[in-house]
Amino acid sequence: MAAERATALVIRGTDWSETSRITTLWTREFGKVRALAKGGRRLQSSFEVAFDLLTVCEVMFLRKAHGGLDLLTEATVRERFPQLRTDLRVLYCGYYFAELLADGTFDYDPHPQLFDATLETLRKLGNPTIDRPAAVSAFELVWLRELGYSPRLEECAVCGTPVEAGVRVPFSPSAGGALCPKCAPSTADRRWLSADGRATLGRLATDGDTLPAGVRTELRQLLSQMVSSILGRRPKMLAYLDGVG
Amino acid sequence: MTEAVPAIQTLLEELTKLPGIGPKSAERIAHFLLAGDRKVAVTLSEALRAVVERIRPCRECFNLTEGDLCPICSDRRRDGGIVCVVETPRDVGLFERAGTFKGVYHVLGGRLAPLENVGPDKLTLTQLVQRVRRGGVREVILATSPTLEGDGTALLTSNLLAGTNVSITRLARGVPSGASLELVNSQILADALDGRKAF
Repeated sequence: MAAERATALVIRGTDWSETSRITTLWTREFGKVRALAKGGRRLQSSFEVAFDLLTVCEVMFLRKAHGGLDLLTEATVRERFPQLRTDLRVLYCGYYFAELLADGTFDYDPHPQLFDATLETLRKLGNPTIDRPAAVSAFELVWLRELGYSPRLEECAVCGTPVEAGVRVPFSPSAGGALCPKCAPSTADRRWLSADGRATLGRLATDGDTLPAGVRTELRQLLSQMVSSILGRRPKMLAYLDGVG
Repeated sequence: MTEAVPAIQTLLEELTKLPGIGPKSAERIAHFLLAGDRKVAVTLSEALRAVVERIRPCRECFNLTEGDLCPICSDRRRDGGIVCVVETPRDVGLFERAGTFKGVYHVLGGRLAPLENVGPDKLTLTQLVQRVRRGGVREVILATSPTLEGDGTALLTSNLLAGTNVSITRLARGVPSGASLELVNSQILADALDGRKAF
């Protein structure tokens, strides 16, 4: 077994015994890692209390050669996000990110930019004046991009034909983008994407600070549908995000 | 060879469903029950049947009880004005063993964990709000675990009780009594510093 070191965000955890814990980590270096922390529930252990959800920690683990759970040997807390404990809306956003990372990525498939974007968004959400739907949407776009599903806005997502710029276009969440007039009729889940919505979607991944009121509902619905299409189900946390705005 | 006997196989399968019991432990328990005085097994099965048939949630606090009200809610010496909100009946036992709390409890039935399909509707939050609104409660102590999920549960409970005039408090967190500072981790020390009070 090879010993590895990584920076990790805890995205899932379950108690294994009175003292041990199985934890799913989203690491910058290795992507998703599932590991057993023997003694991880003890207060006095080499894990501190690093395996609380959405805690950033430095971990050492032994990588199993033939599948199965890796074995954690050390963990040190590096960062926590206090706003998760003081604002329910921020907590639900954090859970949503954890759900997308846990269920929408593969083991040992690293995405350092997605890791950085997750931490940066969690930090940003601590600012009470932040446009929360914009931050969530920007995160979703990074997640889509890293998984290879960035929405295609300039050409047809089905046949690749360029789509007229600056106008309202048919859009298919399952096909992953805009549709040309020829492909649109045969795409079952097509919906309209307004010209403003299209422009906002184009710049949101790089400038995710605001989501104009005029396109907010449209883009939240569209991105939710894209994420659901890729996961193969509607994320559990979307109902909570809808409830808190 | 015991695996070939259907009744024993069933017993092993049922035992391995219990927390912390693996196949080897299940086999050890099964052989203990069969090899020794079989009255032990009969008494155990009767005890299991009794708790399954008789134990139910307390009408007031949702702690486990045999009657309509649990012994704590029925005890007139307890201060009904202070309600300690806990996640599970097991937590009630922990507080009772500490022996210092003289109020009453409210058992939520878990903690808010949407990723594990435990939403607010799975907890006894509505019943808690109704209990507080009925009057007589001065303080609600949020005694959920100091984890993110426990804190989230406390936050949600606090939000739901915001419209009432009850005082809402949270368990203190920090260095345990009797512990040496060099043995506690950095997070516990940070919590202790955050929660320091006048001396």
